[in-house]
Amino acid sequence: MNDDAFLRITDLSVGYGATRVLERLRLSIARGEFVALLGASGCGKTTLLRAIAGFVTPSAGAIAVAGRDVTRLPPDRRGMALVFQSYALWPHMSVAKNIGYGLKLKGLPRAAIERRVGEIEALLGLSGLGGRKPGALSGGQRQRVALGRALAVDPQILLLDEPLSNLDARIRLKVRHEIRALQQRLGITAVHVTHDREEAMAMADRVVVMEAGRIAQAGTPEEIYNRPASAFVAAFMGAENMLALNGTVRGEHIHIAAGPHYGAAEVPLDGRALASGALEARFRAEAVQLQAHDAPPATEGLALSGHVEAVSYLGGAWRHSVRIGQTPVFADAEHSLAPRTAVRLTIPAEKLFLFNTPSPSGAAAPADDTHPTATRATRPDRVREAAIS
Amino acid sequence: MPPPLLGLLLVLPALVVVLLLFVVPLGASVAGAFVVGDGVGLGNFVKTFALYTPDIVFTVLIVSLSTALIGTFAIAIGGYLTLGENPRAVAILRWLYRWPMFIPFIVVGQVLRTFLAKNGLMNNVLIAAGLITPLDAASFLDWRGIVIAFVWKQTPFVALLVAGAMASVDRGTIEAARNLGASRARILVEILVPQVATTLMVSLVLSFVTMMSVLSVPLMINAQSPTMITADIAFRINAYGDYGVANALGLVSLAISACAAIVYLRHSVRERT
Repeated sequence: MNDDAFLRITDLSVGYGATRVLERLRLSIARGEFVALLGASGCGKTTLLRAIAGFVTPSAGAIAVAGRDVTRLPPDRRGMALVFQSYALWPHMSVAKNIGYGLKLKGLPRAAIERRVGEIEALLGLSGLGGRKPGALSGGQRQRVALGRALAVDPQILLLDEPLSNLDARIRLKVRHEIRALQQRLGITAVHVTHDREEAMAMADRVVVMEAGRIAQAGTPEEIYNRPASAFVAAFMGAENMLALNGTVRGEHIHIAAGPHYGAAEVPLDGRALASGALEARFRAEAVQLQAHDAPPATEGLALSGHVEAVSYLGGAWRHSVRIGQTPVFADAEHSLAPRTAVRLTIPAEKLFLFNTPSPSGAAAPADDTHPTATRATRPDRVREAAIS
Repeated sequence: MPPPLLGLLLVLPALVVVLLLFVVPLGASVAGAFVVGDGVGLGNFVKTFALYTPDIVFTVLIVSLSTALIGTFAIAIGGYLTLGENPRAVAILRWLYRWPMFIPFIVVGQVLRTFLAKNGLMNNVLIAAGLITPLDAASFLDWRGIVIAFVWKQTPFVALLVAGAMASVDRGTIEAARNLGASRARILVEILVPQVATTLMVSLVLSFVTMMSVLSVPLMINAQSPTMITADIAFRINAYGDYGVANALGLVSLAISACAAIVYLRHSVRERT
């Protein structure tokens, strides 16, 4: 944990009634850093943001800004401003009134408010719209007014609660770069909640992936994308293809034993703490090299054999659904291969993510074959259910 | 049969009922206000204003004051239900505030008559508590009694509509104001009430019109002069069989109600532009 943390969250727990939403969560954010909280619905990312903002009271733990404990302070005394998912603009006030309201509450003279509102409008490209009501603005303009309202009070920390989710796809791509550029220009510390991994990577210095109220992994976008710390993070970052394998650690390598649908392979450990035994392998569709069954292998790595089941064009690449034994996987290729073609899939070692399968009992996934169903089925409880039914 | 004709046929029963039971009697009343002896004239109105001008003013003042108080209390109740931070107090208030809605006006009048009289419950309690002496005890059975009865009876209705509208306001707009440092009172006045202004106005206009038409409360609480127009209408008909003046008084109260509706319409038009 870095010592020059500007926003420090220590052992934060939050619960609604009997359900625990956040569990002893720790996170440090440096001054001027842009952090994205990334996770699926219900993982606690919005609750964490609301706890930081002061709208949710934690049951335990502390939140400190620049060394000052703010855990019990009301939302307006924390030096933070929140941009809401719904924008939450006041429909009865003009754009200028919306942006200037925080300054009016601070008791600033009218001239000072008008000057600051003018600055903010110019900064966000809202000049000339000051007299309009929010109802007469486009989605992108409303989003900027919400941002302007938060920035007008000059907060130390800007909190963004899925601010782009109500925009249509094209505007979203533009706005995310605008917000990132603005954040860098102002040097403001920002915490951004999103469920969109591309958005998180494009905007943030650091991505914090959350799973069930805990931090699954925190790191730069590259680290999260290329070196996921768990099968969950790998899957969330797009490595949806899953195989159950069996491996043995030998020195700095892990040796994967050959199975009915795949050949043996040597994968460098590369600092990963893997143990011999059942492995969960994850890889992205675009990491696969897809070839006809009899073509000479072009790269080294784990080779799988199977049949093409379906093909669709995604733009840029053809996505093939390939059945490896019982397991369907997706593989991208520049040229399409017809359904029922026998194919070989090669996954380069550096793009093959390996994790030890959590298997407390002997009923774990069979290690010598690919597993019948995708993604979550390696959880021992589900395997047992499947075995019974 | 062409579709427009079929449509007309389908609404015909409802239309006939409205025409026969509502429009025709209303038209007859309005026309009746102008019937003097065998001819037509403004005699009924001359008599009405000569006899009842103080009562008309009294009615307008009473109903306006009651409307203002009802609005204030309804905003306070709705605001507390929406912004209150003590869940138990909010639950109790939510359970309690609607009760007067289910009590008829005549019962309200009767209850308040025994409560507000010179030797009524209110004064007895105040005397027992040592707050006033028996000599200071005064009857509230005058304009104050009517206002208290109206406010007591109509506040829950307006509060119900206002609280419902407040509950459907985007919570984010409240939190955004809190985030910037607004107190609860400022949030209520500057954020919440403007967003429910239309509902507030509609329910206050409805309340105004309802109070204009209540006969039982002025009869029970304040039968002396000046009294409200409804009591005068009843008196003209029951005591004299004078339908002309009664119709003229009815038209006057219709005009007063229309004024309230116009105030509301102008307000809502301004909101929209």
